[in-house]
Amino acid sequence: MGRYIARRVLQAVGTLLLVMLLLHLLTTVAIQLNGNPAQAFFGDKVASPTQLAAVEQRFNLDDPCFDQVGNPCLGPFVERLGQYARGDFGTNLRGREVSDIVAAAAPNTLRLFCVVLITWLALGMVLGSVAARRRGSTGDHGIRLTSVLIDAFPVFVLLIVYRYVVAVPLHRWAEETFGEDSWPPYWFKPSFDADHPWATVVVPGILLGLAGSAAFIRLVRAGQLEAYQGDHVRAARSKGLAERHVVVHHVVRNSSVPVVTAVGLTFAEALGGAVITEGLMNIYGMGGVLWEAVRNDDVGLVLGIVTLLAAVTVVVMIVVDIAYAVLDPRIRYD
Amino acid sequence: MSGDTSAAAASSAADHDGVVGPGTPLLEVRDLAVEFRTPEGNVRAVDGLSYRVAAGRTLAVVGESGSGKSVSSLAVMGLLPDTARVTHGEVLLAGEDLLSLSRREHRRRCGERIAMVFQDALAALNPVHTVGYQLTEALRRRRGMSRRDAGRRAVELLDLVGVPNARGRVKDYPHQFSGGMRQRVMIATALALDPDVLIADEPTTALDVTVQAQVLRLLAEIQAERRMGLVLITHDLGVVAGMADDVTVMYAGRVVERAPVRDTFGAPAHPYTRALLHSIPSSGAGGDGEGRRLPVIPGRPPSPAALPTGCAFHPRCDTARDVCRTDPPPLEAVAVDRASACHFAAEVLASHDVPPPVEHEEAAHD
Repeated sequence: MGRYIARRVLQAVGTLLLVMLLLHLLTTVAIQLNGNPAQAFFGDKVASPTQLAAVEQRFNLDDPCFDQVGNPCLGPFVERLGQYARGDFGTNLRGREVSDIVAAAAPNTLRLFCVVLITWLALGMVLGSVAARRRGSTGDHGIRLTSVLIDAFPVFVLLIVYRYVVAVPLHRWAEETFGEDSWPPYWFKPSFDADHPWATVVVPGILLGLAGSAAFIRLVRAGQLEAYQGDHVRAARSKGLAERHVVVHHVVRNSSVPVVTAVGLTFAEALGGAVITEGLMNIYGMGGVLWEAVRNDDVGLVLGIVTLLAAVTVVVMIVVDIAYAVLDPRIRYD
Repeated sequence: MSGDTSAAAASSAADHDGVVGPGTPLLEVRDLAVEFRTPEGNVRAVDGLSYRVAAGRTLAVVGESGSGKSVSSLAVMGLLPDTARVTHGEVLLAGEDLLSLSRREHRRRCGERIAMVFQDALAALNPVHTVGYQLTEALRRRRGMSRRDAGRRAVELLDLVGVPNARGRVKDYPHQFSGGMRQRVMIATALALDPDVLIADEPTTALDVTVQAQVLRLLAEIQAERRMGLVLITHDLGVVAGMADDVTVMYAGRVVERAPVRDTFGAPAHPYTRALLHSIPSSGAGGDGEGRRLPVIPGRPPSPAALPTGCAFHPRCDTARDVCRTDPPPLEAVAVDRASACHFAAEVLASHDVPPPVEHEEAAHD
């Protein structure tokens, strides 16, 4: 088990370095083809060559390789890796530390993901289990139909409908019913409130989770159906064990491996979905910050955040791999 | 299908005393019928099966795949899939009808007193739990045994079935065992609650021939030691010859012959049994049998959804006559302890044209 984890961690570090190199090469080519991003610092104003040179130096763009198309610019890459290693992730165009921005934005995104994950698991496990247990029943057909409907509604449709149609009346109703200082009005607030980060993130999180839950429901259903058919379930029943025990230890337990894998894979996908959710609901999170950074040509910030997101994804994958090995002993000895 | 007459015949044959031999029956199946719901209507997979197993005796249930032998054991255990149901019959465990109990009660009763060994141990053992967990799962959940005691018991059970280094292996997972060892683990699991009756559903089909013999010997030893009743479901007549006391031959969901093994191997009373015995390769085939083809039963077993009229075996039977195409033969006593469902049972019985029984050498009792 120890060797398995060590191998996975090494692979992860390699993957991360590769992602960073790729990211660096892509931005380098972009700079070489599109011109100096230091211009973006000045917006519409015309900068003098000395001003431009000062900005270039500050953002590590002064290396002549950025003017030579096709040059991989490995020098600045190594330099940046060194800075990362010292905990220096650079600044954005306004001189704010990237690490500070992340420290402010990341908790909100994590809150959102917490809610999303709970929604996924709750909906997926409950509806998927019910559908598998009562295969072919009205409930099963209803759940499958619901999952198709959920798939047919992209998350931004859900969010727009919620924000512009449902949220305001609900918010008003909650204020009138529970009073302005109580918790419920914040749940239905149509936009994020930094003073109440948990309350205002719950509904957007549930909606984002709902949008991703369809695949989950089907996955859990399929996994459990397969497990129900298994001879080991029949063997467990032949021991006269209670049905509840059989379902928990032989059906749910056995079908949990693909579910955990899917959590990991969908997590990466949800990073993209979060950009939309955070944007629409005005949540100050990683997705929103990244979106702004791309729009402002803020290369330093984009690199910093994408690197961070890549690192998070890689860590999640390691966790998934380890969970996988814990859940299925056959994997450990590969 | 004229279920009534045949059912009556089957139960009259079951009532015939001494069919199973000495001892009171531990497990008795009476006139069991199982139907499957299919899109084409109800299909009867088992029709009028009756048998008895006494302590220390081995009953072999023989038949081709699809003859209903496995389905009937699932019905006994209360493990039928949702699409199947028992339409009539009784399963008496020490006099109590299991089928009259709720499914929950039925399953509780099994495991405790009837245990089952499944065909494919790799599939029947849960890959994500340790062998020790699965061995003592029932003890811990149902008897409230402590973890420590359960661990000790698991080692004992593995020792009992001859798994080497039992102490070191309880924490292993099923995929770390070889096929034969896995089947031993499966048997140990079945023994955990000290059952009175063991139903072994083709316990050696998935194994190598050499390992088959070892596993069968183990089963025979354990059965003799604990005086268990053993229901051995198989299609291998060599296994039957070596292990069983009595044999029940099934064809297309029905019993076609029931007899003590020694009698039926010497002189089968049903053309199907005779054909099965003919199609066993003889052990001396290398010498005199060179170039001689092994006789096979022509045709294929019928689908339970489209049984032939009359006797279900008549399209493949070498002694079939007109009456066989129209009238299903009842299961009737043909000699002491013997019953056959053939219009011409007496004739078949008299014709003695069978090779001497080929004993499964490794598994032979004595």
